[in-house]
Amino acid sequence: MKKILVIDDEENIRQLYKEEFEEMGFEVTVAGDGPSALAAMEKVKFDLATLDMRMEGMDGIETLRRMKEKDKGLPVIISSAYEQYKNDFGSWASDAYIVKSADMTALRETVGKILG
Amino acid sequence: MKTTEKTELQLLSEISRISNSSIELQEKLQRIVEAVTRGMEKDGASLFLIDRSGRNVYLAAAIGLNQESVGKLSFPLGQGIAGWVAEQKVPLALEDPFSDPRFQYVPETGIERFKSLAAAPILDGENCLGVIFVLSAAVWHITSSDITLVTTTANQISGVIRSAQLLRNVQQRLSELGTIHEISMAMTSTLDLSQLLSLIAKNSAQALHAEGCSIRLLKLPETQSLETAPAYSLYGEGVKDLDARIGESLADMAIQGRQPVLIGSSSPQTQLPLPAGGSAISVPLLFHERVIGVITVYNKQGGQSFAEDDLQFLSTIAGGAATAVENAAMYERMQDLALKAETRARELSMLFDISSALSSTLNLDRLLRIILTSVTMGGTGLGFNRAMLLLTNERSNFLQGMMGVGPINWDEAGKAWSEATGKHTNLMEWIRTGDLFERRDVAMNALARGIRMPLDPKEGVLALTVLEKRPYNIIDASASPLVGRKLRELLGVNSFAAVPLIAKDRVLGVIVVDNMFTQRPITDRDMRFLATFASQSSLAIENAIIHTNLETLTRDIRTMHKQLVHSEKMAALGTMMAEIAHEIRNPLVSIGGFTRRLAKKVRNEDTKRYIDIIMSEVTRLEGIINDNLQYIKEAPAQRGEEDLNAAVEDILTLYAEELLQKNIRVEKSLDAAISPLLIDVAQMRQAIINLVTNAMEAMESGGVLTIRTYRIPGSGQVAVEIGDTGVGVTPQAMESMFNPYYTTKQRGTGLGLPITRRIITAHGGTIEVGRRDEGGAVFTIKLPYMTRKPAGP
Repeated sequence: MKKILVIDDEENIRQLYKEEFEEMGFEVTVAGDGPSALAAMEKVKFDLATLDMRMEGMDGIETLRRMKEKDKGLPVIISSAYEQYKNDFGSWASDAYIVKSADMTALRETVGKILG
Repeated sequence: MKTTEKTELQLLSEISRISNSSIELQEKLQRIVEAVTRGMEKDGASLFLIDRSGRNVYLAAAIGLNQESVGKLSFPLGQGIAGWVAEQKVPLALEDPFSDPRFQYVPETGIERFKSLAAAPILDGENCLGVIFVLSAAVWHITSSDITLVTTTANQISGVIRSAQLLRNVQQRLSELGTIHEISMAMTSTLDLSQLLSLIAKNSAQALHAEGCSIRLLKLPETQSLETAPAYSLYGEGVKDLDARIGESLADMAIQGRQPVLIGSSSPQTQLPLPAGGSAISVPLLFHERVIGVITVYNKQGGQSFAEDDLQFLSTIAGGAATAVENAAMYERMQDLALKAETRARELSMLFDISSALSSTLNLDRLLRIILTSVTMGGTGLGFNRAMLLLTNERSNFLQGMMGVGPINWDEAGKAWSEATGKHTNLMEWIRTGDLFERRDVAMNALARGIRMPLDPKEGVLALTVLEKRPYNIIDASASPLVGRKLRELLGVNSFAAVPLIAKDRVLGVIVVDNMFTQRPITDRDMRFLATFASQSSLAIENAIIHTNLETLTRDIRTMHKQLVHSEKMAALGTMMAEIAHEIRNPLVSIGGFTRRLAKKVRNEDTKRYIDIIMSEVTRLEGIINDNLQYIKEAPAQRGEEDLNAAVEDILTLYAEELLQKNIRVEKSLDAAISPLLIDVAQMRQAIINLVTNAMEAMESGGVLTIRTYRIPGSGQVAVEIGDTGVGVTPQAMESMFNPYYTTKQRGTGLGLPITRRIITAHGGTIEVGRRDEGGAVFTIKLPYMTRKPAGP
């Protein structure tokens, strides 16, 4: 079973994504900030990660950089309420950029494509 | 009583009778010689008189001699028997005069008919008045009593001549007084100079029995400024040529010597080509010791020469004439001055009117209309038929027609004049009513606005008026090399004038005027007045231009300020809205996401309907947020006027330690002219950091880092150049190095250069990489040189 790491500082979002991805048949681990996500990566080899950009402490860009340092092959989908990080060169290391929406279709399709 | 005594008494009583008769002197003298011939019982007698010059004796009457010689035969004193007796003042008896060395034979007289003669001087005290001769056809043994008789007779004749001379003097004085009276009457009756001169000339000529008279007045320093030509008057057509030939020379002699000059047939002034028997007197006209002219009379009628008393008389006339002439000249000058003062006063009052009109507005268009109307208006205006105004553009160096006033052709002219009759005689009133600014003279205005030429001397008179800062009065355009065919055809006139509009040494433009319809020549006075008017107009135009510029500037600043405030407000508002939108988006995702999940689990139709409502409302809210964010995104980024050089300095300071450690020397050349620059300085700093770190990594074993900033001339761009002396780049690397994840280095994300390019592109710039001849790579960033100043129109 493919493993997905969901990183978001909002618990409701973490819960929502977890339920959605589990429904799609993946095993989901959640992390509330950058450091705990990196800690999780120490224990588990993930097949995909969704990453929030605006987070307290270590922000999404920095987290992304460190994640890529740890595992260059890990696909990362940026899932942010903000569009402007698309322009941030730091975000280009990601594999997809999806603006958060109540309609999960786009996110589910992207995840399905990468892991399908 | 002896016969001789009786004879003597008879003779003397007869002479006395003749003397007392009321006949003319000439007739008396003739009767006297007859009486002497009879009384002395001889065959002839003659009488010589000293002429008025006092230097000659002439034959005044004779019996027994040819009558043709009377009035013509003349001897200088001391020559001939008559001259000798007159000079020596002693009687002389010659029984054989032909053998006497003093005798001069003149065949015309018929003296050869006589054998002997006796002569006695006619004396008046010490003065000799003449000589009386008694002539004998037979040889005459002259006794002392004969001599006594001749001498006594001579004394008697002296009385006759003296009384005759006295009478003549009295008569002459009377006549002179009459003449002088007449002249002085004339002098006081007229102040017209030329009339006065001809009157004096005529009267002088008549009084002196001269054939003609001329008067020359000198051009005086005082009159010179009034441009009065030297005056000249001539009386007597007969002496016209003579005066033209020698008048000037005679006048010069009189002026040089400040003395009257008399020349005649016997005078030594032979270099003057005076005709035989002619004579002339020139007397300087002196006023307060100053020579103001010369009066000259020519040729005494009756073949005589002018004598000393003529000269005295003319001098008397000259004295009065000088005063009268000076008075008349003064009067003329006064009149001239008064006329000029009046003209000047009228001009000044016009200028005052115009000046008030000019100061009534700062609107350039209105001002030009007032100026041109002043130029073309009659009455309080300058009264030209048409006028155009051209202004110079200093930036483009062109002369551009701005406005034209006046009719374009005869049709319009006729219409305009019939309409204008009796309307608006006062400029200020015209301005007040606003009529002045109504649209009119459309064709002429279009013609003026069609004129546009570079300020090049080759362009002819209009350009020259500006370049040489001087007016031109073109009288014959077709013959003037300064007027091209194009301009001539455009204006449709052969005469026009152009004056420069000069304010503070700067030529603002040109006023062109013509009198197409009245064909009145443009005079020097017109030009002077136009120039005065132009200088006044120039100041007004200058003020209006400054005012207009100031207005534009103020408006620009106000607009810019508004824009700035607006964009700053918008930026702040945008940031806030984006913040809110994003903060809302997260909970919306939760609400919407979970509601969807809920929808999948709910079977109850009512609940399903409520869930659908929630979901659609969430979708609507997300739509609103997206639209808003879309709009906000287009608001300007965080750009400001920044100092890019300062950013470069900051970066170099930041990496100073590292550069030192790596043994990299920095060569920088930062051009202050690139600041300020409208950029997002944080982003730009990032771009430059990327290039600097890139360069440092290329020079692991040391080298030179060069940083240059400069304006690219003529392109509106600035450049930032960052070069290294490292390993350089391969052609393949040059193509790929800006793509994401491309890297030749072991470390790094491969995003540095793509990010840099993105930043530069977002700023509307470009980035290129090149290989340096001396090894290493050089990156050149080109950015548009933009400041907050709004772009030109």
